[in-house]
Amino acid sequence: MADMLQVASREIKMGFRNPWAYSFLILFSVFSLSLLLVNSQNEVSGYSGVTGSMLSLILYVLPLMTLFLGSFSLTAEKEEGSWQLLSTYPLGTMSFLIGKYAGLSVVLLTIVSFGYGLMGLITIIIGKTFAATTFLLFLAFSIGLVLLFLSIALFVGSLSKNRWQALTISVMIWFFAVIGWSSILIAVLGLLPYLWIKPVLVFFTFLNPAELVRLFVVIKLGGGSVLGPEYYKWVNWIHQPSGSLVFIGLCLVWIGLSLTIVYWIWERGRSRG
Amino acid sequence: MRSKHRMNVLIFVVLIHFILVSLLFTVVAFSATEEEVSSKQIFDLQQIVDEAQPGDTLVLAEGNYLGPVVINKVLHIQGSNQVLLTNDSPEAAIMIQAEGVVVEGFNIRQNYVNESAAIVVTADEVGLKDLNIQTKGYGILLRDADRGTVLHNSISWLRTKNIKTGEKGNGIDLYNSHNNTIEQNKIQNMRDGIYLENSRQLKILNNQLMGSRYGIHCMYIDGSEIIGNLGEYNITGAMIMGVRDVLVSNNSFLKQSKNVNAQGILLYSVQNSVIEQNIVEGNRVGIYIESSQENQIRENSILRNFIGIQFVHAESNKIHDNDFVSNVIEAEATDSDANEIEQNYWDSAQGLDLNKDGISEIPYAINPFYQELISKTPAFQLFFQSTGMTFLSSMYTNNQESWTKDSSPLMKMSIDSISKPPPSSTEKGNISETTFMLLITSTLLITSVAIIFYSGVSKS
Repeated sequence: MADMLQVASREIKMGFRNPWAYSFLILFSVFSLSLLLVNSQNEVSGYSGVTGSMLSLILYVLPLMTLFLGSFSLTAEKEEGSWQLLSTYPLGTMSFLIGKYAGLSVVLLTIVSFGYGLMGLITIIIGKTFAATTFLLFLAFSIGLVLLFLSIALFVGSLSKNRWQALTISVMIWFFAVIGWSSILIAVLGLLPYLWIKPVLVFFTFLNPAELVRLFVVIKLGGGSVLGPEYYKWVNWIHQPSGSLVFIGLCLVWIGLSLTIVYWIWERGRSRG
Repeated sequence: MRSKHRMNVLIFVVLIHFILVSLLFTVVAFSATEEEVSSKQIFDLQQIVDEAQPGDTLVLAEGNYLGPVVINKVLHIQGSNQVLLTNDSPEAAIMIQAEGVVVEGFNIRQNYVNESAAIVVTADEVGLKDLNIQTKGYGILLRDADRGTVLHNSISWLRTKNIKTGEKGNGIDLYNSHNNTIEQNKIQNMRDGIYLENSRQLKILNNQLMGSRYGIHCMYIDGSEIIGNLGEYNITGAMIMGVRDVLVSNNSFLKQSKNVNAQGILLYSVQNSVIEQNIVEGNRVGIYIESSQENQIRENSILRNFIGIQFVHAESNKIHDNDFVSNVIEAEATDSDANEIEQNYWDSAQGLDLNKDGISEIPYAINPFYQELISKTPAFQLFFQSTGMTFLSSMYTNNQESWTKDSSPLMKMSIDSISKPPPSSTEKGNISETTFMLLITSTLLITSVAIIFYSGVSKS
């Protein structure tokens, strides 16, 4: 536990000395502000054009930011030799990884809360309506995205030898999950028998954190009925208060599983030197 | 230094906790007030009616009355808040069979569970005013009754809430009844708020319709006017089917978004009608038009719907001077050619106005990719407005000439839709919400700045 906190606090310190963190902080703040001002005539509440485009913006920016910062942090350990040093100490791989994860989450969530805090304050100052529930839902949405993608980022970081590899794989995963996702699925599912399409699509949706979190927020914003009669039961189910708890549970399972895989890769690397 | 970090972690945990707790508090509580008439002497209303002479005005004394009652001569029955007519029999609480009867100003409770109604009118020129009706079946039925007035009544559902809307009765139900005026009624939680069939020249004015299946549901009501009504939280606000020459104007249909088939205004097989100056806001589909021709849809404010306007097999309609603001998807069209769409305001259109006449020289075309995709495979509705889907649609420019397009979109809104707040029945206090937001946002900002400062900037 003490080891873990040590690793986490070192990670936080390193994180905020990294210029990348600040460039992402500025990027995120400026983008969310400009989006708000573009739509400044409209009130921000429920599922509408404004919240829809904000969702898209967050889906573009946050996963990429998380993948970069997370995977670079792990490859840096390898490249700069600090992991070689650390592994001579009696430090468990799991404590190391969880410490890393926790530290990086603090860094990323600080960036996110700075962006949201600034955006929220400016909305109040310019006298625009931003429903508090919608605001909190967006915050929760961003936190979910960051935490889920961070576990993927650690996965990428442990697979790559250096930053270049990490960068390439990160961009690949980002493009696949955020932009290419529906094109690829539509193309592939078109080949399947008609009745398989829906179950297979639902299954794949659970694998993509970007889609999973997006759908959750759309439904919670009250937009569930646009998904049509096919998903009626899902929508009703998620809309209940217990839906949120199950969703949080699902996210934890997701993070737990991917951290286990990362642990396995990392441990293999450690035993082979 | 280490303790400082622990402090930061602690602050963060507290913050998250605060957010979670405050989420719990945002549940809106509805409070219902019910007027109970205290148990007083029970009168037999039928006996009182039988003893009255035609043309009399009966002023009912305070107390409880028992139905059913048949009124077969001209009478003016007046009650008060303290008058309650209860009916446990399968007949209607009040059956009006004589011309010119006026019933006003008391409470009616129809307790019989079935296709029964609180009031059945089968005569002309009847007036029903200021009645407060609670029913386990229908509210007011007009059958072959012309030139009547149904004014300022309140009708609501009496039974348990866990019943499907389809199994309830309608609030006000007209069949073969012409030239009636239905005005300022408030109808809640029924099957259809106002159901109109086979009746001509009706005036449906300024009613409030909440939580029902369809707010206004009409079939074959040629030459009628539906003006100034407000519908909220119904499955569909106004379902207008099989009519000609109808005027639908100045209505507000808001927040019909819960159901997968929800719409603000639905037009099916409607001809030669005018839909103007309505506000449709926050619905799943703002205005849905199917198999309808030669209609004018103008000067409506279509705001914040998931889909602004949707055409299915609708041709030769004129859609102009509407404002489309902040809809997730503004318009969708399938098999709908030859509609004249011009001079609407689309907030996402990239207009270019060279000659400064307020009208863009570039047409605004509506990308049909998503609509075509989901009509083939409805399962793909899961991709509604996903980032990948927007990307894919933007690459699809096939056959662009046949897209539905606004030939001359407006550069500015034609009506000032935004400054005109829609008449909503649920007003929430904004001041406390602003304070709440201020609290959250400043906490977020201060915490993040503190974390950055202590862990990154300060030297340890």
